[in-house]
Amino acid sequence: MAAVQAVEIEEIRRVFTPRKRDPVTALDGVSLTIPVGEVHGLLGPNGAGKTTLVKILSTVLLPTDGRALVYGHDVVTETKAVRPLIGIVFGGERGLYTRLTARQNLEYWGALYRLSGAEIKERSAMLLERVGLTDRADQRVEEYSRGMKQRLHLARGLMGDARVLFLDEPTTGMDPLAAREFRTLIGELKGEGRTILLTTHDMVEAETVCDRVTLIDRGRILATETPRTLGSLISRFQRIDIDGGADRLIADIELIPGVSSVAVQPDGSTRIEVNEEGTTAVVLKQLVDAGVTSVKTSLPSLEEVYVQMIGERGLTV
Amino acid sequence: MRAFLAGARMQLRFFRAYPDGLIPFFTAPMFSIIFQMNFRHAGRQDLTAYAAIAPVFIALWWLALFNSGWTITTERWNGTIEMLVAAPSSFAANIFGRITTTTLVGVVSFVETWGVARLIFGTKVTIHHVWPFLATVVVTLAAMAGTAVAMAALFVLARNATTFSNSASFPFYVLGGILVPVSVLPHWIQPLSSAVFLSWSADLLRAALRPTPMHDFAFRLGMVAFLGACGLAVGTWSMRVILVRVRGSGELGTT
Repeated sequence: MAAVQAVEIEEIRRVFTPRKRDPVTALDGVSLTIPVGEVHGLLGPNGAGKTTLVKILSTVLLPTDGRALVYGHDVVTETKAVRPLIGIVFGGERGLYTRLTARQNLEYWGALYRLSGAEIKERSAMLLERVGLTDRADQRVEEYSRGMKQRLHLARGLMGDARVLFLDEPTTGMDPLAAREFRTLIGELKGEGRTILLTTHDMVEAETVCDRVTLIDRGRILATETPRTLGSLISRFQRIDIDGGADRLIADIELIPGVSSVAVQPDGSTRIEVNEEGTTAVVLKQLVDAGVTSVKTSLPSLEEVYVQMIGERGLTV
Repeated sequence: MRAFLAGARMQLRFFRAYPDGLIPFFTAPMFSIIFQMNFRHAGRQDLTAYAAIAPVFIALWWLALFNSGWTITTERWNGTIEMLVAAPSSFAANIFGRITTTTLVGVVSFVETWGVARLIFGTKVTIHHVWPFLATVVVTLAAMAGTAVAMAALFVLARNATTFSNSASFPFYVLGGILVPVSVLPHWIQPLSSAVFLSWSADLLRAALRPTPMHDFAFRLGMVAFLGACGLAVGTWSMRVILVRVRGSGELGTT
């Protein structure tokens, strides 16, 4: 018997039919499996279908076609079994009762997750401590900074002791230090065996915390790999950095087939980018022959993979 | 039950955080003054019971209806409605708890309305049938909360539930015989009043303030309970149906 997966998505389609407008396909045959305990990143531009997918998995939106399971339970027909297993954390200002205190917010959600009075008190105190809000627990949320609200969002999502957490752009608005602490926290949650589906635009975040990453665009999955494998998928786009570089040498390298660009960087170094497999070796040989000894090759970052695969669409959604 | 209690406790906290939800406690005494003056000016001392009951019903119904609309609207604005629906507890039970608390708090309007009548006009409101009166109040509050759940279900469908809930109160005032006796309404409207629990409970409460014997008390109280239970049953069922519908249309969190 196959082991149960935390999330199984089979050919999910979701079409929105706005009044007096053409139907919009938000998800178009998405299939994905997330094993128990994995931190899975969902990367894509605005309008790619990330939030739609999270909403379907959270049982608040029905798919047009296809099937999605959380711990083997159908998100459409077995909502009663799915809901105690999941926690939802949305980014941004919404999702909290701002005129209530952090503790009151958590107590309310604890009651809705059917915890007893003693469990609510204990769990809310523990989570407030964990997200570093104990000292401000009895202050109204409207007085919180954005980063503090984000931390409270996460605590709220954990009140029910969720086995699967859906984090929808959770570090939006956080300062770099808070975001780093947040990532550490995600690591701790993974250590507790929780499964996390994280939607984000932050490539560093995805690279740092995700076991695997899915690139999604226009409702279709482009690739699902580990961040490192995804980078090597376009290893032909390798780049070579050298210190300095004589004009003549640069001109010669530009003529090598497969070299897409040679550019002098602000710090005086030269970056050579290739776009064909095997070109890197030819370039390196020519550099060594020319006596260049300070050479560094690197794979593209996840951000570069993202841009390469999704394209430079800019603000178009 | 836990969802109901969580909603009830939350509503008490909301009253402290958003005191504007208690506006009827300001308007009820004003309505009391208006009704008392009108009836006195018209020489209709026999309508004292109307003046004593109408402001209370207006306050109670407004609290129940407005808060059911306000609850849905604010949950949408807060971005919490989707998380409430995704929580393991029943969304309808949670809303029922919040509305029940609202109607219970509304009992204060009895004290206000009758206090103003006494202090300003020297009118003493006497309850001649105490137990029937108390029983009617209890059943009326339950019926009010149950019916408001049905309204809340409709508000889930509406983009701006507050506007809808504001305007939806007046037909009930008319049909419930709160502002004017049902007997003076056009004949074709009167049968509709029988389907509104407010008309039965308002009649009972007014009767309890008169020294004359109360007829068919059990049947009339039963009608209040029956119509209120129908409201709750319809509300719970329609909430379930409507939530499936908005999950399908993707409009649950739409503001």
